[in-house]
Amino acid sequence: MNDAQTLAVEVTAIEQVTPLIKHFKLGSADGGALPAFSGGSHIIVVMRGALRMHRNPYSLLSSPRDLDHYEIGVRRMEESRGGSHFMHDRVHVGSRLEIAHPVNLFGLDKIARKHVLIAGGIGITPFLAQIEDLHGAAVPYELHYSVRSPEHAAFLSRLREREGERLKMYYDSEGQAIDFDGLLSNQPLGTHVYVCGPAGLIDRVVATAKACGWPGSHIHWEQFSAPPVGDAFEVFLARAKLTVHVPPDQSLLESIEAAGVEVPYLCRGGVCGFCQTRVLELDGELVHNDHFLSDADKAQGKNIMPCVSRARCKHLVLDL
Amino acid sequence: MLITGIKSKPVYAPLRADAGGRYHLMLGIGPGGIALLRVLAEMRGSAPDAIKNTRLLFAANTPAADAADTVAQFKQIGLGSVSLFDDPASLLDTFRTVLDESLMGTRLYVAGPESFIGLAMKIALQFDLNKDEIRAEEMGTLARRVYCVHCRTTTEEVRTNIVRCAGCERWLQVRDHYSRRLAAYMGVMVDAEAPGEVPPVKEVFV
Repeated sequence: MNDAQTLAVEVTAIEQVTPLIKHFKLGSADGGALPAFSGGSHIIVVMRGALRMHRNPYSLLSSPRDLDHYEIGVRRMEESRGGSHFMHDRVHVGSRLEIAHPVNLFGLDKIARKHVLIAGGIGITPFLAQIEDLHGAAVPYELHYSVRSPEHAAFLSRLREREGERLKMYYDSEGQAIDFDGLLSNQPLGTHVYVCGPAGLIDRVVATAKACGWPGSHIHWEQFSAPPVGDAFEVFLARAKLTVHVPPDQSLLESIEAAGVEVPYLCRGGVCGFCQTRVLELDGELVHNDHFLSDADKAQGKNIMPCVSRARCKHLVLDL
Repeated sequence: MLITGIKSKPVYAPLRADAGGRYHLMLGIGPGGIALLRVLAEMRGSAPDAIKNTRLLFAANTPAADAADTVAQFKQIGLGSVSLFDDPASLLDTFRTVLDESLMGTRLYVAGPESFIGLAMKIALQFDLNKDEIRAEEMGTLARRVYCVHCRTTTEEVRTNIVRCAGCERWLQVRDHYSRRLAAYMGVMVDAEAPGEVPPVKEVFV
């Protein structure tokens, strides 16, 4: 993906659904139908700020059957690098935005006999679209939704109305927690579990499922990492013959793009592996922040995901 | 004149215990029982708790005396349960009911003739068990189930490279092309181009 392939959309409605989450409705700028997608897909929103560009991934939460508009939920991040603040403070009804076509890295397994969906906070968004796909199917499912307190439970009335008994709520403020072991040790064969939310929640679900004997192919999770800040460093792009400075609060990918070099990407969150780049020379260490490379690959240091990973180094040459 | 190098031909490996599983379900036919005893011995060393979480379904399928020793050993190990069957078909009926009440975390071990493994896999597939959850070891006859691509009849116990279809009576060449969904190899009319010219029939799957 690169910016030449973006779609122009217009914000048609904005609603503050919790103290931290805004709900945006986007329509095609030319009024036509938007590209089709399946539940679990995300888009990249391209934001042209005064000082820099932001490209953030957001899960589509609207029904895959409704292509007149897309809906996304944006949580205001306390330590924002600017993207979520831009969406919250600078985007209004009528604003024009560019988005990349939907991509699904978190699809439902089509032959599962049962689905267990586990959401933490803003992690509810991909499931809102997935349950639209599940309504038409005969496969049983249940949705476990954990939030800090009732006022933070985004989209709850819509979920209650549609899901009834299939929805189980957990409020941290009332000391309620998901019984992971009870939930995952008692599922029929052919069940798939999906989790989206904070890293701690994902780690708990994956570890508990494995301890209960679930094979990895039945465990699905998605978390878009925001690119962490780090030390500034310089990188030399071997093919472009260009030295690029990477400031502390800008990602390697963003810095390379700002220098005019295009890198193919899909998720910009360290998940998909699309932006994987070869490291040609390194004097120092790579700081891997992605969920794509294996620990062995990370230790080898032959490849890097510039969307979220950085380096602490004197000298770095990439195959770009 | 089997056509080789067809990727759908299943590949099996000697059974090993899977320490990642919480429950273990074993199916054995005849000499397959020996492979299961080997896995159980491995479990006793590495994960003794797994033995009591193991359910075993076994059909001797040979003169019962030949399997008497295997069955006696099964009963001494301390398995969660052992069920004995007169034939593979009744074993597979029970297998289906067992899968219906099994939980995630179950590992399946199958040991027996290839045609039996195929039929067990076909049922397991309907419960969305995948290659991470199933292990199989071939023990016993290589006789194939052959699906006629013309009339859709499956001919059982095929030991020859060319076989007369039990349904339409065409002469079928038995290919290595395997369907997991049908649990059968594909049989294609051998003399379609030159009617009546059937190459020599040889016993190849013994």
